[in-house]
Amino acid sequence: MLVEDESDIQSFLRRSLEEAGYVVDCAADGKTAEKLAAEHSFDVLIVDLGLPDQDGITLILRLRQMGVQAPVLILSARRSVDDRVRGLEQGGDDYLTKPFALAELLARLRNLLKRNAPGAGELTRLRVQDLELDLLRREAIRAGKLLPLTQQEFALLEYLCRNAGRVVTRSMILDQVWGIRIQPETNVVDVHIYRLRGKVDGKGQQPLIRTMRGMGYVLEDR
Amino acid sequence: MSSKTARPALRSAAWRISLWATLAFACGTIVVFVFLQRFLAHDIQRRTDAWLSGEVEVLGDVAERTPKDALYDRVVGEVAELASREVPNRDAGATLSNDSVFFLQTGRDGSMELWVGAGNGQATLAAIRKTTILPDQPTDLHVSGFAIPFRVASDQIADGTRIYLGLSERDELRVLHRLSLRFFLLSLSLILFGFLIVFLATRRMLSHVRGITEAASRIGHSDLTTRVPTTNRNDEIAQLALTLNHMLDRIESTVHQLHTITDTLAHDLRSPLTAIRGKLEMSLPGVSDEAAAEPIVAAIDELDRLTDFLNKSLDVAEAQADALRLTREEINLCELLPAMVDLYEPSMTERGLSIQLQCSGPVKVMADAALVHRMIANLLDNELKHLAPGMRVAVAVRAENGFAILAMEDNGIGFEPGMLEHLFEARVKGRNSSGHGLGLTFVHAVARAHGGTVTAANRSGGGARIVVALPLAEGSATAPHNPAASLSVAD
Repeated sequence: MLVEDESDIQSFLRRSLEEAGYVVDCAADGKTAEKLAAEHSFDVLIVDLGLPDQDGITLILRLRQMGVQAPVLILSARRSVDDRVRGLEQGGDDYLTKPFALAELLARLRNLLKRNAPGAGELTRLRVQDLELDLLRREAIRAGKLLPLTQQEFALLEYLCRNAGRVVTRSMILDQVWGIRIQPETNVVDVHIYRLRGKVDGKGQQPLIRTMRGMGYVLEDR
Repeated sequence: MSSKTARPALRSAAWRISLWATLAFACGTIVVFVFLQRFLAHDIQRRTDAWLSGEVEVLGDVAERTPKDALYDRVVGEVAELASREVPNRDAGATLSNDSVFFLQTGRDGSMELWVGAGNGQATLAAIRKTTILPDQPTDLHVSGFAIPFRVASDQIADGTRIYLGLSERDELRVLHRLSLRFFLLSLSLILFGFLIVFLATRRMLSHVRGITEAASRIGHSDLTTRVPTTNRNDEIAQLALTLNHMLDRIESTVHQLHTITDTLAHDLRSPLTAIRGKLEMSLPGVSDEAAAEPIVAAIDELDRLTDFLNKSLDVAEAQADALRLTREEINLCELLPAMVDLYEPSMTERGLSIQLQCSGPVKVMADAALVHRMIANLLDNELKHLAPGMRVAVAVRAENGFAILAMEDNGIGFEPGMLEHLFEARVKGRNSSGHGLGLTFVHAVARAHGGTVTAANRSGGGARIVVALPLAEGSATAPHNPAASLSVAD
């Protein structure tokens, strides 16, 4: 369920979520959301904090009282992260500041759903087309050849592989691979990707790492 | 709080105040003491003199009426002896050996006729001859062989002889000494007692002041919601606390207003930005033509820059009003900086720059991670944007005097002269800079919000040097300053 009062944002979110394969129900205010939640069961909720009739947090707490267990992705255009939001975050829900990249929204939704799904067990190997990653020995092999990667490059490639077929943004890469929370002003990430691509995509091989202009990068899985 | 109460009492204001108060009190006591001593001495002497005058008159009567026969000496001597038993201020425990009183009768020629007292009286006679003693006017007489002078009264008898009655001032002085000693001990204990009272009272009062100071400094550093402690009494200190709290109320409401304004501004701008960005992103996959996609990509980039600018402007505005909201967590700069340098190193290399990092041990700060990350990224972005190829950047992190020091140096052309003073003001940028001039302002704002400082200077050997100092996290020991850690760019 998507609870967002601004019709512009609601419509493009709905479209992109549907394109990503989700079935979406929309509500523009808290009352409608409560009614929808009472009638249907949802896998995940996206709730904007600034609703016309009530505070987003209040809505989430009421839904929780109603017995709604689904994880919540909170959207906010506020500057400061409310303490109550932080409390929800610790309860397993997630938080995203506007404006955001669609790729990031989708990644966070997947994370929330994965957290709720029964554990699939820790992977020790990742395979995307002819690229194979040994997560224990921290080695990457493409077409039978060991790639001479540094630890950092391996971590970057691992992150791309785990999200194969999906767009990852530069700030997602920075956060997940380097643990740095910034919006890069310079091309720091691109240079790393460029170097990694030089090692992963050899001559005559089909390029795996693709630049999605204006969005980020994707590791092709087919 | 405990660390501050442990400071030596000798350096506290309470100690100084009590010292001064005690000094004033002691001076007053000494004046009173001297005055009383004088008064007492005078009174005792007056009583002695009255007794002497009375006795010498009685003795004169007796001497006049007693016939000058063989018994004369014995009668007058016994009367004198009796009189000496009634000496005022007499020490009750003293023996009756009568050396404190003498009686002397001289003939018309001044020779000794009768002597009652210790010794043969020749020394006394010699002393009397040297001194003029008026009748009815007792006088001090210094007799050789006696340390303490005698008080002597005289009387002329009708037959032309003179009688003298002398009383040693020993008893008188002893009484005075005893009184002085008692008074001295009493005033000493009074002074000590007064000191103790003043010290305890001022310390108690000043502990309220210290409580207010500590609370105020805590409030200055972190949250505006707490207030300084108040007391029920309506004295100056309670009023100070109340005034401070009123001031804090106003500051809090102003800060709250600022937050409301920035929040509203952020909200009103971010919502349309979100909608525009989303729509642009949605339209991208439909455009297969590279050239047609270019303006959309550029628009998205512009939007991201605009968002970043908006965030930075609001951060800087809040920081300059000391109202930046922080979510503090422990950050080890010696873990963060290697990641940062690792991230920037390829871009630097590509531009022909080199970067080296020196970190000594864990350097932990309690800071807002997102802000600190952006602050360091800003510094590195600055180097990346402005430094000419072939130059070096040196980053050093160390703990020093309770501060985490992050020093960034390069061997480029440095800051333009005249720009240094205004470096941290908003919209100040180098002539060739393409940024919006918020970079270093933002760095300054973040450091300030965390209670730290930023200094920028041109190095003597050429190149720029920016030093950020943030307070170390509590409990992380300050490593002794290691001279090897202060690094400089090798040319």
